[in-house]
Amino acid sequence: MGTLRLQPARLGALTPKAVSNAWSVFDFQLAFYALALTIIGLLMAYANSADAPLQAGSIFTRALMWLSLGIMAFTVATAVDYRWLKTLAWPVYLANLGLLIATLALGTGIGGVSRWVSIFGLQFQFSEIAKILMAVVLANYLASRNDKLGNLWTIIGAGIIAAPPLVLVLIQPDLGTSLVFGAIVFGALFVGGASLRWLSVGIGIILASIPVLWNYVLQDYQKLRLISFLDPSAADIQGAGYQLQQSQIAVGSGGLFGKGLTNGTTGDQYLPVQATDMVYASLGEQLGFIGGLLVLLLFAALVWRVLLVGWRSRDPFGLVFAGAIASVLLFQLLVNVGMVLGIMPITGIPLPFITHGGASLISICLGLGILESINMRQAKATW
Amino acid sequence: MTGSLRRDPSPRRRLLPRFIIFGVVIVLVVVALGVRLFDLQVARGSYFTDLSQSQRTSLEPIRTTRGLIYDRKGRQLVDNIPTFAVKIRPADLPFTQRDDVVTRLAQLIHVPASDIYQALDRNAGSRFDLVRVASDIPTETARVLAEAHLQLPGVYVDVEARRDYLYGSTFGHILGFTGSISADDYSRLRDSGYLNDDVIGKAGLEATFESELRGQYGSEEVERDGQGRIVRVLRTVQPATPGNSLELTIDGEIQRMAEKALRWAMKLAGLKRGVFIVENPQTGEILAMVSLPNYDDNLFAGGISNAAYKKLLTDPNRPLLNFAINEQYPPGSTFKLVTGSGGLQDGKITPQTRLMTHAYLSIGRYRYYDWNRAGFGPLTIYDGFAHSSDTFFYQVAGRLGIDRLAYFAHQWGFGEKTGIDLPGEATGIIPSNAWKERVFNQPIYPGEVYQAGIGQGYDAVTPLQLINAYSALANGGTLYRPQLVHRILAANGTVVQNYTPQVIRHIAISPDVLRVMRVAARNVEVVRHTYNLVDLPVVSAGKSGTAEFGIRDSRGRLPFHSWFAGFTPKDATKNPGDPNGFEAVKSTDSQLAFLAFAYDSRTRGNAATEIAKYFLQLYYHTSVDLRINSLLVRDNFYGN
Repeated sequence: MGTLRLQPARLGALTPKAVSNAWSVFDFQLAFYALALTIIGLLMAYANSADAPLQAGSIFTRALMWLSLGIMAFTVATAVDYRWLKTLAWPVYLANLGLLIATLALGTGIGGVSRWVSIFGLQFQFSEIAKILMAVVLANYLASRNDKLGNLWTIIGAGIIAAPPLVLVLIQPDLGTSLVFGAIVFGALFVGGASLRWLSVGIGIILASIPVLWNYVLQDYQKLRLISFLDPSAADIQGAGYQLQQSQIAVGSGGLFGKGLTNGTTGDQYLPVQATDMVYASLGEQLGFIGGLLVLLLFAALVWRVLLVGWRSRDPFGLVFAGAIASVLLFQLLVNVGMVLGIMPITGIPLPFITHGGASLISICLGLGILESINMRQAKATW
Repeated sequence: MTGSLRRDPSPRRRLLPRFIIFGVVIVLVVVALGVRLFDLQVARGSYFTDLSQSQRTSLEPIRTTRGLIYDRKGRQLVDNIPTFAVKIRPADLPFTQRDDVVTRLAQLIHVPASDIYQALDRNAGSRFDLVRVASDIPTETARVLAEAHLQLPGVYVDVEARRDYLYGSTFGHILGFTGSISADDYSRLRDSGYLNDDVIGKAGLEATFESELRGQYGSEEVERDGQGRIVRVLRTVQPATPGNSLELTIDGEIQRMAEKALRWAMKLAGLKRGVFIVENPQTGEILAMVSLPNYDDNLFAGGISNAAYKKLLTDPNRPLLNFAINEQYPPGSTFKLVTGSGGLQDGKITPQTRLMTHAYLSIGRYRYYDWNRAGFGPLTIYDGFAHSSDTFFYQVAGRLGIDRLAYFAHQWGFGEKTGIDLPGEATGIIPSNAWKERVFNQPIYPGEVYQAGIGQGYDAVTPLQLINAYSALANGGTLYRPQLVHRILAANGTVVQNYTPQVIRHIAISPDVLRVMRVAARNVEVVRHTYNLVDLPVVSAGKSGTAEFGIRDSRGRLPFHSWFAGFTPKDATKNPGDPNGFEAVKSTDSQLAFLAFAYDSRTRGNAATEIAKYFLQLYYHTSVDLRINSLLVRDNFYGN
């Protein structure tokens, strides 16, 4: 069996020679797509910084700072042997829960929800980091049950691991991120090779419990957003439906080539929280259909490269982790852009790389760094 | 490759289909989003470009003050007073909090929650338009609402002017009232600048002169923020013009006399409905118009509750109707003016012609009785009119024929709207051969001609038509359009429009005939058909009427209305040289025509005559009081 070549880390793995060998299998495409998306995100940060993008504290300067932190996170995660994560999986899990509880206790946010924690004056959303930590914990768990993946208990076990952070996020309340957690679990199980039969049963049970969630779990504003998605004319235009309408107007007025960077007329004033979740709307307005399509294609290529890392990985950990990351990227792309374009309900899910938010970027950089680390250490022959 | 897949079923190869599926999902997601993006930006791009340019600034209306209303002597009848109104902007009221907010608001402003829901559900405007849910709330409540605004998202307290009708119900039917614009009206009028939470004239002159009173709303360009709130005013596009004011032909003092006289008799006799109208025969100006029961316009101006409105609507005495114009009744003997003048004009009788009056006339086996079962013997038009002999006028009507009778009725203005500036005027019915054929597909029968000759049968008139006819009698044959508005004034006091008398027609009856009829009308009083009316120190002429309607009681008696229509000459003081006043009424300079109508009166005497008498006493400030209370006892004298 091919997997028999799987080997534990050797002490000599980080010798200069080993490193140079490793760089030969560094996935430059993956890094390139990610960098391209990050640069587009930076451009948007510049364009949305209103009058003074270079002034301290503007969206742009903060984005630059987060980017440098993100590059650091990426580099460190790439350099460090990911197999340490297996050892540290459970402490990481507990730390994850601790961060989420801290968020609930200390958090501030907009519209009566607590999602952000201030660290040194910077707003930080721990639930973003929790995504990557969740992927790590799940990958470790599924890898340890590599021979029992077809088993129902594997799926139940993954559900039990995912449940506490998911509930903690849901009561923040942050419906969007809890859905993202669901996507992580699903992606990990699907790509990892869990029983499709039991996976479908599990999804069926979750769908069947939606009415219960609706009545006892969802907050009024969350219900409203869903209602406004299902019937924009019936629900509250000023609130949820208003965002929807405004984002469509912004995107639609961009046309084929866009109005040009910094020329977003509706951007500043008319899009509530445009700097966060709705940034794709101002991107569409300023860069037009060409820019919007470019972002979509870059995402498609990136997600595919992430999957390939998993394919090449001889370690089931790498396989599962890549599945989780690919799934979360694709899910966030679909939900965020779909929301801006009016074909998905409004949820507070950021668009990776593009949304101006530090935690999201660092979280993604960490995830991609771990993937590069896996790639360099576990890759079979290139695809 | 496929060979090795079969030979070497490694776990990774086993997962190949899942990677392919994942890849397909990636493609599907990108294609779906890409197609939507294309649809929004390229296919419908220009539509959204227009939208984005229109939303930053918008034109907002500038409201203006509604014009006032004065009587002919300059007495102010209506005022605009600042009040607090409660409005809801549906867009600001989250759907999920709707029930909660409505319930709490209903308790605070003491309005049924169902009324608020109804106002919201009937909203014809957009979700950003304000919807009025209550007007004229107490200051204290407004303060409480303002403090509770965090618990009441979407609820706003607006200061706005509401109408204050200074005399309550006295001018009720004439002035009408304003109210919140209905969804239907708003849909119809939004292009004329009406707003969703606007007020509009709903009844009376407030409705007919809406365009004058309302004024011109202006508009200003405002900038809005992302929440749709107004940030600042950029410029005034068009300044607002306040509404014009009306100066009525109504004299408030005369109106109050008319109401007083009518109320007195109605209270004494227990009557449910009545009308009193005063007109200047020289111009057609209406000096007073009272219809009882009436209602306080302020009920509506303050935003009437559904319950109170329903009560008014279902009141069996229908206070919302102005019986002077909105309904038609058989004119009874007052209609003998038409029959008599027509007979004289067509030469069917002369002033000297004596007709034998019996207890009844027969056609075949049918008998047509006189109200006086003894008959009066031979009578001229003077005495026939004065005693109101039915058999006299049966014969005149028979000689004229139905179509000539109808012709003269139309000459006097019956069977057609007078054209007064109030909504909902009734037309009345004047039967003719053509009318009978059209409506019943039958010819007129001879007995019906008799009935028509004494204002019974199919005949139906409005009180206003009747006083207008007697005004024409008093002025020598000119039928004027009755008017309520004398002048229209701009807010700065300049006259925008003067209303001059409008002639409907010069009646095709010779002045001689009309003079005969005026003397005959004076004779009504002189022969004491109207009891002691002739004893007043004021010369007047007129005709009483007792008009049967409805269903006979167990003794074969019909209920009836009573009428009195009359006029006074310009110099109405009694002159010893003209003891009976016959010379005085020959003149055509009358300044005063009046009409009393008592619905379903069934009093021992003619209630309308008593009302008219009391009005004349009040109007001329007579020192004597000739009212006879005993005549107002409920008792079906007619047919006894």
